[in-house]
Amino acid sequence: MSTTNPQSDAPSDEGAPRGLRRWSRRPADGSPAAAARARRRSKHRRRVANVAGLMAALVLTGTLYSALSPAQATEESGATESSAEAAGRELYERSCITCHGENLEGVPTRGPSLIGVGEAAVYFQVHTGRMPLVRQEAQAPDKPAVFSDEEIDQLMAYVQANGGGPTLPSGDLREGDLTEGGELFRLNCASCHNFVGEGGALSSGKRAPSLEDANDLEIYTAMLSGPENMPVFGDNQLTPEEKRAIVNYVQTIKAQADPGGAGIGRIGPVAEGVVIWVVGVAALLFGIFWMGSKA
Amino acid sequence: MSTRESAPGSTGGADVPGPLHGGPDDDYTPEQLATLSREELDLLGARYDDVQVLHVDPGPEPGSSVERQAVRQVALTFGLAGLAAFAAFVIYVGSGWFLPDWQWTITEGGWSAIFTPMIGALGGLALILVGVGMVVYTKKLLPHETAVQDKHDGSHFDRVTTGATLVGGLHNSGLARRKLITRSLVFMGGGVGLMLLMPLGGLIRNPNTGNPLGTTSWGEGVRLLRDDGSPIRPGDQQPGSLETVFPEVPGGNRESDAATMLIRLRPEQVQVDRPRTGQEEFGYGDYVAYSKICTHAGCPVSLYEQETSRILCPCHQSQFDVTQGAKPVFGPATRPLPQLPITVDDEGFFVARSDYIEAVGPTYWNRERI
Amino acid sequence: MARTATAPGVPTTPLGKAALEVDDRLIVAGPLRRTLNKVFPDHWSFLLGEIALYSFVVLLLSGTYLTFFFDASMREVVYEGTYAPLRGAEMSAAYESTLYISFDVRGGLFMRQLHHWAALLFVASIVVHLTRIFFTGAFRRPRETNWLIGVALLVLSFAMGFTGYSMPDDLLSGTGLRIVSAIILAIPVVGTWVHWAVFNGDYVGEFIVGRMYIVHVLIVPAIILALIALHLLILVKQKHTQFPGPGRTEHNVVGNRLFPAFAGKAGGLFFIVFGVCAALGGLVQINPVWLWGPYNPAQVSAASQPDWYVMFLDGSTRLFPAWDINLPGNYTIPALFWPTLVLPGILFTLLALYPMIERKLTRDTASHHLLQRPRDVPVRTSLGMMAVTFYVVLMISGGNDVISEKFDISLNAMTWVGRIGLVILPPIVYVLTYRICLGLQKHDREVLEHGLETGVIRRLPHGEFIEVHQPLGPVDEHGHGELAYGGAPVPKRMNQVGGARRAIRGFFKPIEEPAQVELEQRRDEHGLAAAESRELTTSGRPSDGGRPQEPRD
Repeated sequence: MSTTNPQSDAPSDEGAPRGLRRWSRRPADGSPAAAARARRRSKHRRRVANVAGLMAALVLTGTLYSALSPAQATEESGATESSAEAAGRELYERSCITCHGENLEGVPTRGPSLIGVGEAAVYFQVHTGRMPLVRQEAQAPDKPAVFSDEEIDQLMAYVQANGGGPTLPSGDLREGDLTEGGELFRLNCASCHNFVGEGGALSSGKRAPSLEDANDLEIYTAMLSGPENMPVFGDNQLTPEEKRAIVNYVQTIKAQADPGGAGIGRIGPVAEGVVIWVVGVAALLFGIFWMGSKA
Repeated sequence: MSTRESAPGSTGGADVPGPLHGGPDDDYTPEQLATLSREELDLLGARYDDVQVLHVDPGPEPGSSVERQAVRQVALTFGLAGLAAFAAFVIYVGSGWFLPDWQWTITEGGWSAIFTPMIGALGGLALILVGVGMVVYTKKLLPHETAVQDKHDGSHFDRVTTGATLVGGLHNSGLARRKLITRSLVFMGGGVGLMLLMPLGGLIRNPNTGNPLGTTSWGEGVRLLRDDGSPIRPGDQQPGSLETVFPEVPGGNRESDAATMLIRLRPEQVQVDRPRTGQEEFGYGDYVAYSKICTHAGCPVSLYEQETSRILCPCHQSQFDVTQGAKPVFGPATRPLPQLPITVDDEGFFVARSDYIEAVGPTYWNRERI
Repeated sequence: MARTATAPGVPTTPLGKAALEVDDRLIVAGPLRRTLNKVFPDHWSFLLGEIALYSFVVLLLSGTYLTFFFDASMREVVYEGTYAPLRGAEMSAAYESTLYISFDVRGGLFMRQLHHWAALLFVASIVVHLTRIFFTGAFRRPRETNWLIGVALLVLSFAMGFTGYSMPDDLLSGTGLRIVSAIILAIPVVGTWVHWAVFNGDYVGEFIVGRMYIVHVLIVPAIILALIALHLLILVKQKHTQFPGPGRTEHNVVGNRLFPAFAGKAGGLFFIVFGVCAALGGLVQINPVWLWGPYNPAQVSAASQPDWYVMFLDGSTRLFPAWDINLPGNYTIPALFWPTLVLPGILFTLLALYPMIERKLTRDTASHHLLQRPRDVPVRTSLGMMAVTFYVVLMISGGNDVISEKFDISLNAMTWVGRIGLVILPPIVYVLTYRICLGLQKHDREVLEHGLETGVIRRLPHGEFIEVHQPLGPVDEHGHGELAYGGAPVPKRMNQVGGARRAIRGFFKPIEEPAQVELEQRRDEHGLAAAESRELTTSGRPSDGGRPQEPRD
C-alpha cells in the first residue's frame, strides 16, 4: 500500500482542455531545499531540520521498504536497529503497544494497524497530542503533545523502520503558489474545515478540527496520512507542490489580519447574526430607552 | 405692470388681495392676529389642529446652574462629534499622502488593517455623538410640553357627499344601462392587459428541450480529469481517498452538475461494499464514482469520512453511505447519490462508461419520467 | 406690492419674506402647521419602527454608493487586483468588482460593511417593531391595513437581503443560490418552468446576477419605498396608538408635538442608528467574500448559512424528514418543497391574516386606539411567544452545525433536538406564558385591592403578625381598594408612589442631588410645574402610570 506507486505514474501535461489552468506536476523530491528559506517558524523549522537529518539516514531503508512487503520488512529490521529506533521501540512498548499490537499489526476494536502509515502519520498523531489516546471516543481530540520532539523522532524512526509508509517532507513547506493553494483548499479541504480552516462539524459527534494551531508539518502530514476520518491525499493525488501551496494558503490566511475589523471567528452569518442582535439591536434598544426616559 | 388690458388673459391679473382660504381667515383678521403674542399664535394654530397643550414644563431657567451644565454637556458632545468627524476625514484623505497608505497588503497588522476600523470607529462615534447631542439638547434644554390631540373617526358628512359624487358620476356615464359598452370594456381590458403582460413571455423557456436536467457532459469514453485538467490512473489515489473529478469537455470543471467524487475504498470498505442493484459493475476495482451534487438541494457533498464511509452535505446535513451505493442514512435527502459507471481506457486513465443513468441533483416534479 | 406695505402681521425679516414668497406659490403653511402640530406618544417602543425607517435610509445612501463600482455580470475574468491570495484566480466580474470595492476603493470596504450591517439591522428592527405591534394589539381595527403593509415590507426585506448577499457571487452566496435553484425546481408541476424563467435556463447560467441586481436596486426598493410612504401616510391619518394612562382615551393622543421635541429626538435617533451601523461597518467584519473565494459549483464550505433572517428556512430544511411524495404517473413532490415554500407560505399567511383571525375569534370588531398590556391578553401573548419559540428553534437549527462544532455536540443529536424541540417546545412555552400572564394580572389586581406591600410588619394585640399595606386610593368599609384596573401599569413598590424620599428619575442613576431636588421643589411651590402635571397624572409621574384612571370608555 502506501506510496508504492512509482513516480512515473504522474501524468504528463498533455491534452489540457480549454481554459483550465494548469500547473506542472513534478514527482516528489527528497532533496532538501535551500536552508536559507528555513527560518520562518523557528520551532518547527528546528523540527524539520531534525527530520531532514534523520531522513538522510533513512532514505535507503525507506526506498527498500517501499519495494518490499511491510510484513517482511518488520521481520528483517530487528537485527540492524539504530539507536533512535531502539529508543523508539522502548517508547512504543511503553505507550502504544496496548492498542497497536506488538508488531504494529493493530488490535481489533482498540487500534488500527500501523503498518504502512509511515512516520508522517506518527508525526501528525503524536505531535498534535492525539496519540497516545486517553480514552476511546468518537474521535481523538488534539491536546498538548505527550512526547518531546526528540521522543517523537524516535517513535517515527521505529514505526518507519518497522512499518514503512509515507515519510516526512523536507524543505520549505510553504513553497507553493498562494492562489493555487486557495483553489485547492476550497476544492478539497474547505468542505470539512470551513472556508479558512475554522473547522466544522461532521456526523455523529465527529468534527474536522480547526487549523488554527496547526503548524506546516502537521497540515502536510495530515494530508499525506489521512488521520482518522480525513481522506488520504497521496502524493500522486496532490503533488508535494500542491500540498505546499495549500499549506502556504492556510498559514497565510491564518496570519493575515482582518481588514474590516474584528473577524468574529470568520464563520460568517451565524456570528454576524449574533452580533447584530447582541450588539446592534441591543445598543439601539438601550438608546431608545434612554431617549424615552425623563430628563 | 402695464395698464393695457385688451389681450385675453391679461385681465384679472391685478395684484389685489383676493379672498384667502376662508375658515380661520374669516375668524381672525390680520389685525387681530397682529395683536397676539407668538406663544398665543402657536397655541391658536395648535387648537386648529385639534391639539391642546395641557402643560408646559419650561426648560431650565436661563443662567441657572442646571442650564449651564446642560449647555456644557451638549456643546461637549457636539464638539467631540466634530473632532471625531474631522479625524475620520483626515485619516480618509491623508492615507497615502502624509499618513501610511490604506491599500491592503497581506499583513498581520499595520495601517492598512486598521484603516477601515478607524474610519468606522471615528465616523460611527461622530454620528452617534451628533445623535446623542440632539437628544440631550431636547431632553435637557427644551421645554417639555404635554399635548393632547383629538382623534376623529370618519365623517359621516364626507362619506355621504363623496358617495353621492361617485355614484352620480357613474350614473351619468350610463354604463349600468349601456351593456354593450360594459361588455366591450371587459373584453378590451382583458385584451389590453394580456397584451401588456405579453413581453414577459420572453422569460419563458422550455426546460424539457434536450432534457438538460437529466443529462450531464459525461458519456462513454469521457476521461475523468482533476480540477487542473490532468487525467487519473488507478494507482494515483490512496485507499481512503477522494478526488473531485470533471468530464473532459470544454468548461467541464465549471459545469454545475458534472462534478463527481472519485473515491478509492479501503480494503475493509470493499468487503462490505453493497452497490445498488444493477449497479454492481459501475465501480472499477476499489474505485467508485458518485455525483458530488446533493440529491436534496444541490450543494456539493464532499465531507467524506473515510472511516465511517459517510459523506455529509454541509448545507442540510444529509448523510450518504458510500458502501451502500451512497444511499441516504440521515437527514432530509431522499435519494442516493447517482453513481457514474467508470472503467480504464487503453492508456490506463479513468474514463466514464456512460453518462449517469439517472438525473443528477435535486428532485423535481417530472424527474422520474425522463 | 401695495398690500404688503401696510398690512399688519406682514414679515419684515428676510427669512419671513422668503417664507411668504414660498407660501404665496405653494400654499404650504397650513399642511406644514398641521404636520408640526402632530402629537407623538412619548414611549420608547414607538421608536422601534423608526429604527427600521432610518436603517433603510442608510441602506439607500450606502447602496447607491456601491452601485458606482459594482459590475453585475457573470463574465469570467482573471483577478489581477490587490488581494494577493486570489491573484490569478478565475472569477465572475461580479465577484471581482466586489473585491475591487473591498480592496481598491478608498473606504469601499467600509461602505460595503456599513451596507450589510444596515441590512441586518433593517430586518432585525422590522421584526422587533412587529413583535411590539403584535403583543400590544396595535394591529387591531382600524390598523389592519398597516399591519398588512408591514408584513409585506418584512417579506420584501427578505427578498432585498437575499438578492443583496447573493450578488457578489462568492462561494458562500453561490451555495445559497444553488439551494434556491433547487427550491424553485421543487415547486410541483411548474418548478422546472419557473426555474427556466428565473435563471434563463439551467443552473447557473449567465443571467441571474444581472437579474438579481435590477431586482435589488430598482424593483424591490421602489416597492419598499412606496409601501413605507403608504405606511407612514396611514399612520399620520389614523394617528398613533397609545398605552392607557391618565388622560388617555380612545379619542386622543397624549404626548409631544412633532416640533421641536419629537423632531429633536427622532433626528437624534437617525444619527444614532447611522452611527451604530457605521461603527459596526468599520469595527466588525461582515461577509468577507475574499475569504470565501469565488463561486464554483464543485466547491463548498462547512457551515454554509444564509444571513440570520433566512436562517429559519435553512433550519426547517435541515429538520424536515426525507419525505418525497411519489404520485401516480411517476410525478414527485420533492421533500424540499414543504419546508422551504409551504412552511414560510403558511407562516407569512398566518402572520398577515392574524388581525382578521383574532377579530373572528374574539368577535371584537370595535376600533381600538389604546394598546393592551401583553399580560391582559394572555391568549394572544402566549400564541405570540409560541410563534417566537417556533421561529427561534428553526433559526437555531439553521446554525446547528456551528453550534455542534463550537460546543462539541453531535450534529445528528442537534438535528433531533431541533425536530423534537420544534414540536414540544411551542406548547410548553404557550402554557408557561399563559400562567405568567395570569400571575401578573392577579398581582395587579391584588395591589389594587389590598394596596402596596410596605415592608412594615406589625404585631396585632392578639399576637398575629401582619404586613401593613398602603392602599393606592380610596378604600371601602372592608379596607379594599376601590380602584379598577385600567390597563395601565400598577405601581408595585412604595418608591414608585413616592413612599421613600422624593426621587427624580434619571436614566443611569436616580438624580438625588439636593440642589436638583430643591430646585424642583421650589418650582413646585411656585405652582409653575406641578399643578397641571398632578392633575393629569394624579400620582405625579406619568411614566410610572400612577393611579390608573377610571374605567375607560
